[in-house]
Amino acid sequence: MRPPWHSTTLRILTLGGTALLAALIANRLAAPARRLAWRTALPLSPALAKPPGELERRAPTLPKVPPSAPEPHPQGARPAAAAPATKPAAPPVPEQAPTAPAPITEISSQEAWQAFQAGLPFLDARRSGEFTEGHLPGAWNTPVWEADLDDRLLDFKAQRRPGAGDAIVIYCSGGDCQDSQLLAEKLLAQGYFHLLIYREGYPDWVARSRPVERGG
Amino acid sequence: MRRWLLHPRLTLLVRLTLGVTFILAALPKIGDPPALAKTIWAYQLVPAFALNPMALVLPWLELLCGLALVAGTWVRAAALWVGALLLAFSLALAFNLAQQRPIDCGCFGAAGPRTDAERLADMRWVLLRDLGLLLLVAQVLAATAPRKP
Repeated sequence: MRPPWHSTTLRILTLGGTALLAALIANRLAAPARRLAWRTALPLSPALAKPPGELERRAPTLPKVPPSAPEPHPQGARPAAAAPATKPAAPPVPEQAPTAPAPITEISSQEAWQAFQAGLPFLDARRSGEFTEGHLPGAWNTPVWEADLDDRLLDFKAQRRPGAGDAIVIYCSGGDCQDSQLLAEKLLAQGYFHLLIYREGYPDWVARSRPVERGG
Repeated sequence: MRRWLLHPRLTLLVRLTLGVTFILAALPKIGDPPALAKTIWAYQLVPAFALNPMALVLPWLELLCGLALVAGTWVRAAALWVGALLLAFSLALAFNLAQQRPIDCGCFGAAGPRTDAERLADMRWVLLRDLGLLLLVAQVLAATAPRKP
């Protein structure tokens, strides 16, 4: 008599293997916007996954916490990753980027508008589908989660030729969107150190009736 | 009672419910792996190297197991997979809920923009739903248990 347990184990493994094979084939055939690299190209440091709203709410109360009950933010080994996390603790008066040489800085909606008028390059970190529906005029389509991000960044660098210290503005869909932060971390790792994050992002831009552009 | 709980018609109904649920959950995720990777990342439980492979393979596994349950072949193997997945989903959700960290479930693909309160409320319901589905898995496993010689 055949032990039934063995055949079930074999079937479990077969189901897993077939799923893996199907995923390999489907990902190869998928459109670029729906393709995911098997190895992530993003610096996914755990400190980043905290919702920014939480940081903003919690950071100002930090000094009041008695030393007996500290709740430190887990800061990554990389000091660069910690810098933007502590930024919201600053007073609401927006800090000007030139006086604060943090490599990744948040900018206000007004500063984003000024940067736009000054002709700074804008990178759109959202999905390319969202980009097609509408984006800042002249923004570059650099969806962080899609497989062709590296190619798109190479394109941007080849055409725009930004120096390592030139300002680059990055935005996504506002709220608790982390995509700009991920893209900024990636560019920082590539040597760029003047990265401005327009936190309120595209919804804010639209709400203020600023010009938008449609199409890919 | 036991006879009623393991009735073939009940097993059929449970199989179909589980199977259709998993097929419906798998399809939108198969269509958009980058969105799933982003969702899984928000759970903060999967190491970076495993993130994308998981986002790519998981939906296909759900689809295959769902199809097997509906078709009635390899039911026990599929139910074991489904049970393991549901257990993992529930634990991941419970872990984030315990920390009051609002995340999108991602169960049936990416959700639209929502407030944190809505997310937390959703997470409680989803956890309850997952536990209910686990009961269904238990029924299928009990009904397909190999007979002792």
